[in-house]
Amino acid sequence: MFGQLFISGVATGALYALTAVAVVVVFRNTRTINLAQGDFAMVGAFAALVFIKDFGLNYYVALFGAVLTCVLLGIAFERIVMRPIADSDWLTLFTATLGMYYVLHGVAGWFWGRDTKAFPVTFDPTPIEVIGGLVSQGHVINMAWAGGIGLMLFWFFRYTKQGIAMRAVTDDPDTAMLMGIPVRFIVLLTWGMAGFLAAFAGVLLAPIVYVAPEMMDEVLIKGYVAAVFGGLYSIPGAILGALMIGITENMAGGYLGSHFKTATAFVMIVVLLAFRPQGLFGIQKRREF
Amino acid sequence: MTEILRCENVLVSFGGVVACNNITLGITEGKIIGLIGPNGAGKTTLFNVLTRFQDADTGSLYFRGADIGRLKPHDMASMGMTRTFQNINLFAEQSTLDNILIGAHHLIGNPFANMFGLPRARKNERKLIERARQIAEMLRLEDQLNNEVKNLPYGVQKRVEMARALASNPEIILLDEPVAGCNEEETADLKEIIQHVNRELGITVFLVEHDMSMVMSICDYIYVINFGANLAEGTPAEIQSNSDVIKAYLGEEDET
Amino acid sequence: MFGPVNKSSLNRGTLANITTLRQNWGLMIALFTAALAFPFLPGVEGWMASQAALIVVYIIAAQGVSILTGYTGLVTVGHGGFLAIGAYTSALLTKYFAVDLIIGIISGAIMAGVFGFLLGLVFLRLSGAFMAIGTLGFAFFVGTIVNNIPIFEGREGISLPTNRVLGMEIGDTGFLVISVIALGLTTLLIYRLVHSGVGRAFMALRDAERAAESSGVNRVKYRTLSFTISAAVTGVAGGLNAHIVNYVSAEVFADIWYSVDFLVATVVGGSAMLMGPFIGGFFIVMVPFFLEELADFSFILKGVVLIGVLILAPAGIAGVIARPFQALRAKRICPKSTGQPK
Repeated sequence: MFGQLFISGVATGALYALTAVAVVVVFRNTRTINLAQGDFAMVGAFAALVFIKDFGLNYYVALFGAVLTCVLLGIAFERIVMRPIADSDWLTLFTATLGMYYVLHGVAGWFWGRDTKAFPVTFDPTPIEVIGGLVSQGHVINMAWAGGIGLMLFWFFRYTKQGIAMRAVTDDPDTAMLMGIPVRFIVLLTWGMAGFLAAFAGVLLAPIVYVAPEMMDEVLIKGYVAAVFGGLYSIPGAILGALMIGITENMAGGYLGSHFKTATAFVMIVVLLAFRPQGLFGIQKRREF
Repeated sequence: MTEILRCENVLVSFGGVVACNNITLGITEGKIIGLIGPNGAGKTTLFNVLTRFQDADTGSLYFRGADIGRLKPHDMASMGMTRTFQNINLFAEQSTLDNILIGAHHLIGNPFANMFGLPRARKNERKLIERARQIAEMLRLEDQLNNEVKNLPYGVQKRVEMARALASNPEIILLDEPVAGCNEEETADLKEIIQHVNRELGITVFLVEHDMSMVMSICDYIYVINFGANLAEGTPAEIQSNSDVIKAYLGEEDET
Repeated sequence: MFGPVNKSSLNRGTLANITTLRQNWGLMIALFTAALAFPFLPGVEGWMASQAALIVVYIIAAQGVSILTGYTGLVTVGHGGFLAIGAYTSALLTKYFAVDLIIGIISGAIMAGVFGFLLGLVFLRLSGAFMAIGTLGFAFFVGTIVNNIPIFEGREGISLPTNRVLGMEIGDTGFLVISVIALGLTTLLIYRLVHSGVGRAFMALRDAERAAESSGVNRVKYRTLSFTISAAVTGVAGGLNAHIVNYVSAEVFADIWYSVDFLVATVVGGSAMLMGPFIGGFFIVMVPFFLEELADFSFILKGVVLIGVLILAPAGIAGVIARPFQALRAKRICPKSTGQPK
């Protein structure tokens, strides 16, 4: 039982990580906690749903379409909403993403209705054996995707020009600008990346939960908790945090009963923020946020 | 002459970098004392230790002979010590009058009585407001009382910060670079205010400043620190002719 | 050292004048009179009074948020949690001990205040983004509790008997009167708070924390105090909310929409202004009301208005309305200093 709970915990955690990393990337480059991150993902899930059901497209083509939709959404949000208020105080930036949260919830409800929908692509329910435990194939596939994206991010931040520029902006936007890094473009790219990660979070989660305007609300909070594990600053910290949450809540659900499953993450966030707000891993750089 | 403030062997290090290395100094009551030293000498850190924003790793602090090493920053005001900050640190969204009144925060009495406007609290509040107006008048801020400070010119903001410090009824004021960023006129202005505060109100002043001509003309006694350690001390004339000090400042002409 | 206070020199307007005046008392009195007269107007039915009471609830809750977010500068996305605490405290007391409505509401406020105090202590080191996440986590935490612990009866909900005040049963009209009185009291409280040394300390912590501390403001004490008062005020709204329809359920109270709505109401209205919560509360309740057939469109409208306000009028709608009044008053009240020579 332990092995099984552990593996499926890792699988769930890997999906939380997609949201957590997006939260961290946006926060450290724009000072904003993106409350609409979950709704970006929800839009991605709905987009994939439409591409598959209404246009009859292949799953992978639909996934690509969802990614494109979400990236454009992220970029549009930056250009239309965030850029005009970029110099405002923290509350303004935060509530702007809150406004986006409303808008996307409303748009989704308007177009697709409030009722939950099943995602048309499901995974083969026969579990397969992974290191001594039986795991559903869906979990394995999700882990593979999330792992692949993780490697891609590593490559992006380590070896590409844009990735290195993005880290420079994170460290010190003013110096980065003096060094000729196009900070505005990097911020735009940041929001694009948030959309990219959201699309995967939404589409991969859709078969497990369901598709509805509020499908991501709880995942978003868990993404936040995971992001706080890394002090809202460290990507590896956020990924580790996400895995820890996935595993812990699965264990709590398995051994203590499903009531405790949802409560775990919220207990974790309160305890974590009370005792180590700078994150479990590493030192947070800009304390004022 | 009694010492109002004293620190002994203060040592502060930030992850291996020693900001203050066994600094010892005493502030004589009623004087204007200067603290100078090249950039990064540890002046601001020492200020933060004295006003309790920073804990010293070792060493002791005394205010009128009482150990204050364990007190918190907010305890200082009621004890009679207050400070200004290197870059102006005002309550930007609020009026000049409010800024001055916050300086008098420890005089508001019971916060609940104050909040619910009980008769005695109201009377006290009126007194505080009247005093704030008098301070404002002294610093020629009387026309700015209802203006938000973020809209005021730089030199005026400096005066507001001074007024806020005075409102707490201090015995000693620590000024962190009071004339930094000021033009000649504003500098002369603040110099006059500092001297007025010291002579007429009998408030001890301890200041960090890079403007050497200002420091030399205004201070009664000067401490020099370099690389976090005591380098020299004495009257302005002694400091100006001290070879160690000259050596420390050599090549930092632009600073002076 | 500055000489004795010369009493005759005191300007009568002084006390009201100690922070920039951003409210209009005439408007406020007219508003309350209208609200109290409203249920007695001909043609006004019970449901209208209920709807008006709902607006009042939102205004009070947003007032609670404005204390913490507007005046103390700590963003909260968790006041739905305090609303739930106020509501369930009052609901359980009414169900099991048949207490008076007034007692229920006061108990709700006290209970919310206690939790606010505790949360303030727990989150002592947080600010900005971390505070927002922490309070959001708190709201979810409360939601999970009411969903899962049997006494709160989860999604089944708790049905309450008719409201009683001083032994008399009251209907929708009476309830609205009680709500408006409660709103009057919370408004007075906030007015006094903002115009006192305590409010000054809150705002000082908001604008420049270190300078506030060096001026003698005890950060721990005033932060926790702000949390406590803020939570208690929202607790009043919670107590009222439970009794509007005499029903509480996790379906409603476990949702984070309340938390989000209150923050939005505060920001749209103007977070650091007395009139802000009034405008914001009205806006948040009436938009979905007018767009009942188009619930999703009302979400969009709320979001668009919010973003529009942020871009065009960062000080909130009340800030825009207040600007001409402020300019007028500044001229009238303080043409010249009234200070005395030393």
